[in-house]
Amino acid sequence: MGAPAILEGCGTSTGATVATPGVSSLKPRSGGTVTIGVNSEINGFLPSTSHWDNTGLTYANTVFDSLTQVAADGTAKPYLAQAVTPNPDKTVWTITLRPNVMFHDGSPLNADVIVANFEALRASPLTAQAVTPISGVAATGPLEVTVTCKEPLVAFPHYLATQVGYPVALAQLEKNDTQHPIGTGPFSIVSWEPNDHFTVQRNPHYWRNNLPYLDSITFKPIASDNSREASLRSGTIDLMLTRDPHAIQGLRNNPGFQQIADLHRSVGQTDSDFIILNCAAEPTNDITVRQAMAYALNVDELVRLFGAGVTTPNLSLFPPGSPYRPSDNGYPTYDLNKAKQLVAQAAPNHGGAIKLTLATITDPRLLTQIQAVSNMWELAGMQVSVNTVLQVEFIDNLVTGAFQAYTDEMFGASDPDLNYVWLSSTTAGGPGSIALNFARNKDDVLEAALQEGRTQSDPAARAAAYQTVDKQLAKDLPYLWVSRATWSLTGSNAVMNFDNLTLPDGSRAQGFAGGIFTPTPMWRRA
Amino acid sequence: MARYVVTRLVQLLIISFIISVLTFLLVHLLPGDPSVAILGPNDTPQARKELFAQLGLNKGLLQQYATWISNVFRGNLGQSFLTHQTVTNALSVAFPIDLELIVVSQVIALLLAIPLALASALRPNRLFDRSATTSTFALLSVPPFVAGPILVLIFAVGLKALPATGFVRLSGGLGPNLKSALLPSIVLAIGSIVVYYRLLRADLISTLQEDFVTMARSKGLSTPYILLRHALRPSSFSLLASAGLAIGSLFTGAFVVEAIFAMPGIGYQLVQAIYSNDYLMVQGMALVAAIAFVVVNFVADLALTFLDPRVRRA
Repeated sequence: MGAPAILEGCGTSTGATVATPGVSSLKPRSGGTVTIGVNSEINGFLPSTSHWDNTGLTYANTVFDSLTQVAADGTAKPYLAQAVTPNPDKTVWTITLRPNVMFHDGSPLNADVIVANFEALRASPLTAQAVTPISGVAATGPLEVTVTCKEPLVAFPHYLATQVGYPVALAQLEKNDTQHPIGTGPFSIVSWEPNDHFTVQRNPHYWRNNLPYLDSITFKPIASDNSREASLRSGTIDLMLTRDPHAIQGLRNNPGFQQIADLHRSVGQTDSDFIILNCAAEPTNDITVRQAMAYALNVDELVRLFGAGVTTPNLSLFPPGSPYRPSDNGYPTYDLNKAKQLVAQAAPNHGGAIKLTLATITDPRLLTQIQAVSNMWELAGMQVSVNTVLQVEFIDNLVTGAFQAYTDEMFGASDPDLNYVWLSSTTAGGPGSIALNFARNKDDVLEAALQEGRTQSDPAARAAAYQTVDKQLAKDLPYLWVSRATWSLTGSNAVMNFDNLTLPDGSRAQGFAGGIFTPTPMWRRA
Repeated sequence: MARYVVTRLVQLLIISFIISVLTFLLVHLLPGDPSVAILGPNDTPQARKELFAQLGLNKGLLQQYATWISNVFRGNLGQSFLTHQTVTNALSVAFPIDLELIVVSQVIALLLAIPLALASALRPNRLFDRSATTSTFALLSVPPFVAGPILVLIFAVGLKALPATGFVRLSGGLGPNLKSALLPSIVLAIGSIVVYYRLLRADLISTLQEDFVTMARSKGLSTPYILLRHALRPSSFSLLASAGLAIGSLFTGAFVVEAIFAMPGIGYQLVQAIYSNDYLMVQGMALVAAIAFVVVNFVADLALTFLDPRVRRA
């Protein structure tokens, strides 16, 4: 983990026990409050209409509960649901709810609420795509919901651990209320003032015995990594999220703090840092150009320059250790001479020179990175201009295909099928048209492998299918892989157990990953 | 005097109207499209059309303006497309932050600039004057994004005396409130200290050479008395006019400091809203900031007329 172990019993004379950061075996203390610095602000608390990033899902884990949770072994296990069971071919899934669970407004969690939540998800332009495989949802008992799919959906329990799996109370759903979350979660809202704070208090009627321990939590969105780090160091906040390698490095090995990072957690897929290439726009629609760009990219050097010793190169969709990662996916590795040859070969087809624009969002850290990348491509003979765009323009351009090369970060998922929509040929459009497959890469072999992975139950068959996906992406090169995106959660030594969620069956949850965590088991020293 | 005030009030209303029109039109020049921010990846032509109809963006500009301005007069500035927070609610969070930062920073600036200028003007081009002029000139070259982190490093991280980020409202106690406002106020005050010092020093030196000062000296009045009683008031006109402009511009110009200290003031929220194409939030925040700027300068003008009757006769 790279972070120092802390002495849990420090200050006592009786044998101190060494623990993993964020995990405590001491008797929890009830009460107290914790302030957490998060990296962004969300736009609301309604799963069907709100855009949830890592902060959004952390907020959701605070006031809502997901129907399933990803366990440390990578499986999706029942959480708010008591059971999630399929029929033999996995086209019909039955969700059985826990009895006597109440929302914060006192209303009961039952099958009707779940059906209403699914209907809202299917009606919303934002989430409809994610629940496309679902053809019907019906209450088949007071606490039983049957979900019918158009085809076998092996990863269905994993979908219930994502944004579409957090039920909200009917009162919130009917008002389409994005500002006042009413969930079943361990904490209920006290106040939310966007860009200032989100404060919650303990839910005294929480369905999990003796949880949570804290009286209240205040989340403070602090956009600047430097300001967040200074806030933690000064004691203004108790816990901070970051994905800035320099901030992570700066707080590492500091005895005053506990730090956890998700670098070596390889449940499912972690977020990747990459350069996305538009396969439907000149000149990146030419595979020879994309190959030249890949060969010219010295990923090791980029990671050395910008990774601060925290991030590692990763030339695959999947992290090391993943069953879906082939031993050799055939991805082009740095070879400047080869890149120069390919540029010379492709240039005549593009008016004599390969000219392109590499862009990123307005972030100084990313701007310096793309300047280094453009230098590498120019060494191979390409003419590269760099540009920054606003976040909204960035998304707009990705969706409509108005780009050539952008830096990006995505693909974090507990099951590879959750990324189907981003990779499928069925969601790729041409330039100027809307597409969720932003790279607009169309590949029949890739599509067949994605379908295989979606519908096959046999783990070996799924592994083989996704290994094919990885190999095809290395051939098509819609994404130039750079590194695994590494998130860390760093806290003062007064905050205990912030990475130790256990599931109702006693097993351990996946824990901190992708900048998302669940504050339920957290407590504070006196 | 009454006629002067009425004339200025009429001018204020005309300027406010022009501001409202410009604010309304300017947001239509923002790059991108609000539908992207609202609909995200599902921004289909049909969904976009429905959204535009829902938001009234498919109507003519004049009709959109009429609807918007009539709502403004009813105190309804609309709500954020993204968070559904009402603009008035966002302003109720942002405005007190800016107000306090401005008041505290200007008090700090004046408390430091006036004595420094008085001392410098007393013996111009001597050691103290040169030291003060050089020091303030050096301060002017320290931008807020440098001064902020340095102060945080010293007072928050090092001494742990003040919070590094965040704003505590007055309801959280006067002590915590002032502690949270002190560092950002000092950063904001730096620029003002320099400007106020240099303006006042120059005017004081000039005033101290006037005949009435020589007369006061010949009557045996003490130097401090002459400075405070006779020289300061006629030397403070430029300072006052400059303070009006500085205070007005701080309503939006403090966004760098607000970003460093994670304080959601008007400037910070305005920049966030612009980045996310949150039209109504941009309109509301920009309108309030611009009106605040005009009103502050109106008040400064009135104050100037009290100090210097020649202004109202001009």
